[in-house]
Amino acid sequence: MPLTRRQFVAGSLGAATVAAPGLARAAQQIAGAAAYFSGTAVDNGVTYRTTNFAKINPAYRRQLVQYYSPEPLGSVVVDTKNHFLYVIFENNTALRYGVGVGREGFRWFGKAQVDRKALWPRWVPPPEMRKRQPELPASMEGGAANPLGPRAMYLYRGGSDLGYRLHGTLEPWSIGQNVSSGCIRMFSEDIIDLYQRCPMATRVLVLKHLGAPITNEAAPGVAPG
Amino acid sequence: MAWTLRNGMRVLGLVAGTAVLGGCISGGGPSAGLDAPVVTATNAPVAQGIAIRPGTEEDFVVNVGRRTFFGEGSAELDETARVTLDKQAGWLLRYASWKVKVQGFADDTGPAARNTALSQRRAEAARDYLASKGVPSDRMLAKGYGKDAERLINNCPDTSCTAQNRRVVSNLQDTLEL
Repeated sequence: MPLTRRQFVAGSLGAATVAAPGLARAAQQIAGAAAYFSGTAVDNGVTYRTTNFAKINPAYRRQLVQYYSPEPLGSVVVDTKNHFLYVIFENNTALRYGVGVGREGFRWFGKAQVDRKALWPRWVPPPEMRKRQPELPASMEGGAANPLGPRAMYLYRGGSDLGYRLHGTLEPWSIGQNVSSGCIRMFSEDIIDLYQRCPMATRVLVLKHLGAPITNEAAPGVAPG
Repeated sequence: MAWTLRNGMRVLGLVAGTAVLGGCISGGGPSAGLDAPVVTATNAPVAQGIAIRPGTEEDFVVNVGRRTFFGEGSAELDETARVTLDKQAGWLLRYASWKVKVQGFADDTGPAARNTALSQRRAEAARDYLASKGVPSDRMLAKGYGKDAERLINNCPDTSCTAQNRRVVSNLQDTLEL
């Protein structure tokens, strides 16, 4: 799940920003975040901010790549270490997207499948997350301010909700980072795109990195979120 | 650009150095008699990488998407299917020199003949929807392939595989061929 903007700035812009006087710092934060957006678009009646891909590391932009691995066509594979998500295509190719993944202690691995999909999803932060961040609401309606963004795909294993989702983000700078509480986050444009490519029951494989053994590992001692 | 998903991928390997982005070199999976890629490493770019030229087949694959999915035993277009086809129609109207072969598949329950008929209905449903959005009928051709073994995930009863097989692929062509 996303950090707040305040946490993002404190965490990733570092000491220089934190040391600046309050007002200047606030202005800097807003300007810094604004540079990551190119404008707005409308999706299912909701106006959302579009990503300024000129600011994004080209490696994290959606692109067609070669892919040599045995997963069947249509599978989704997440390379946690390298912050890539692949949809497997034919003839040893895959469509690759950039993702944000769980921070230290919040990473999990294993097989899952998409058993639920939603447009502009509601967000219900799990109790553990609200304990860590008491300022979070009990729940939040879907929409432009919702941290899940325009789409969510809910990951299940053996019919049980793992609590993890593939979803969008309000924080495009967090793609390529280890930031979430275990969810896989993507640019708004990319989660909208991925949603179209993943029918219900799509297989999802979350790996430490490509080529790593497939193991089912929960995040250490942490409930999902 | 010389790549195609339909006849086997001809991959344009760029510099080998770009192939190690993910740090993951291939185990060299078999490529089933298709043209050998120039660089056989996972993450090596295919064709133009991120420098995709609008209106190319790669643009269609990466930014629109060729696949429309269906429910079990059904040739109905659901809301998600219509969104995919809306995007395809917009692209095809903009890049009017492309033809599209709308290929239906089915490996649902029942005998082969029923699946062939179902796959044809799926292809026609997609074609008719594209036509309703203004794509001229003479640029399209609908064909059902049923359980065509070469084009489906085989021997995988898992729901993730059968979901992938209930699909229509909109295959771009320069000239329509049956």
